[in-house]
Amino acid sequence: MSFLFKDRLSRGAHTQKTSFYQRIVGAITGVFRQWLASLGEIWRDPIPSILTIAVLGVSLTLPATLYVVVKNAESVKGNWDSASEISLFFQTDISQKQVQRTVKEIELMTQVQKVEFISSKQALAEFESLSGFGEALQYLDDNPLPDVLLVTPQATHSSPTFAAELLEELESLNEIEFGKLDIEWLRRLEAVVKLINDALTSLALLLVVSVVLIVGNTIRLSIINQREQIEVLKLVGATDAFIHRPFLFTGVWYGFFGGVIAWIAIELMLMWISLAIEHLAQLYQADFSLQGLGASDMLYLLAISMGLGLLGSWWVVNRQIKLIEPQTT
Amino acid sequence: MIRLDDVSKTYAGGHQALQKVNFHLEAGEMAFLTGHSGAGKSTLLKLISLMERPSAGQVWINKHNITTVARKHIPFIRRDIGMIFQNYRLLQEKTVFDNVALPMIIAACYSPKEIRRRVHAALDKVGLLDKERYFPKMLSGGEQQRVGIARAVVTKPPILLADEPTGNLDPKLSLEIIKLFEEFNQVGVSVLIATHDLGLIARMKYRSLTLKQGRMINDGLAHVESEEVR
Repeated sequence: MSFLFKDRLSRGAHTQKTSFYQRIVGAITGVFRQWLASLGEIWRDPIPSILTIAVLGVSLTLPATLYVVVKNAESVKGNWDSASEISLFFQTDISQKQVQRTVKEIELMTQVQKVEFISSKQALAEFESLSGFGEALQYLDDNPLPDVLLVTPQATHSSPTFAAELLEELESLNEIEFGKLDIEWLRRLEAVVKLINDALTSLALLLVVSVVLIVGNTIRLSIINQREQIEVLKLVGATDAFIHRPFLFTGVWYGFFGGVIAWIAIELMLMWISLAIEHLAQLYQADFSLQGLGASDMLYLLAISMGLGLLGSWWVVNRQIKLIEPQTT
Repeated sequence: MIRLDDVSKTYAGGHQALQKVNFHLEAGEMAFLTGHSGAGKSTLLKLISLMERPSAGQVWINKHNITTVARKHIPFIRRDIGMIFQNYRLLQEKTVFDNVALPMIIAACYSPKEIRRRVHAALDKVGLLDKERYFPKMLSGGEQQRVGIARAVVTKPPILLADEPTGNLDPKLSLEIIKLFEEFNQVGVSVLIATHDLGLIARMKYRSLTLKQGRMINDGLAHVESEEVR
């Protein structure tokens, strides 16, 4: 360990007989001691730490809430599959046999999830009962309505572009007169969903950046406050890594506690609004219950917040500690 | 042990703190470094402890040229030098025990048992064994300085540097502190003490290096030097 005096530590015979293994253990206990000491440091002077942690908690609550919103929106989006339903209208001058064969054919296509056949008779009956033109229709010689097939594409083919491709393919069949797909509506929906997603993501990114900045600034201030101690450490031969570690650990602790606060805040918030949501869902006769953060989400949240804490402290520690050089006066 | 070859130090702004200083402190030697405030005593110690780099010339410790040593190696060099300061430089929120143990905690190659043994030995040496649980601010100046000395010697470094170690102490305490340095010197430690306390030096028969406006004007026994300065 000595640079200038090769035999220094072996000189006192009884003093230094540490094996490689003991050194590793010593190094690990040293790091562990610093890890605990950084927690003790927060404990001893809790006010600034609590304020920082509270700010972190709030900053983390927002992106985590957005995550919960997105998660719930995704489960709702499952009900929007019918959005890309394609209506196919058969030629009127073909036989029922041909119609049945085409239905089979379409049903077997890989892009198609399910089909629903509505014969011209069914369509007419439905039209009569819904439109109120029942009597007027009696005067028609024959049924003007074609047979209709409602095609639901596979989830992988339900986006506007894929659905349009599928429609084109289906229209090319001889038995089909034309098809209809309300792509505009789908496109708008998708655009709105994307907009919300992007807005939430950029908002979340901003808040994540603010977490890094907050941790960085707090750590910077605490480094400045401990200038004296850092100088002493440098004077008695502490490496930069040794001095960095407590601050990095403090950043990680900040992230940890901030994450815990965010989690508690979200759970409270969910408890608060879940009743209202359920009431609203009942009014819409929808079966919907709010999903909270699961155990794995919770772990992710903590891991991310601790990572951000580490990032924030690492960002300032390196530069700030280099600035502090011991003075004798 | 410590050798300076034609060392000059000019601070940013043009202040010339040291000019062509040469001296050689032998292994196991004890010497005083004297001169008025601003004569360059502190600068000289800073060059040895790598708190400053020389503008010209070379600094050698144990035949190693440390003039251009990489920044990342500095901590390891400082572990070979026990440093003592006028204002003690203790960690105020740590106990006496923790302060003394600090160099060993940093070196991370001592077992807890070894740390305890050495801290107790060092505190016993400076007569503060019963105060290991005290905090620095509960101690008098002389006691704090002795904690500083215990911290400096706990890893048995081959070199001790002291910058005005008696600057804040009365003559009786000063003498006790110097006696401590003498004891370490007797077991082979090279000791360099910067002080302007000429009365103290005069009582000792040690080599004395005198700096005046950055130049080494005297290198000899203390009593000769002290008369000259007067």
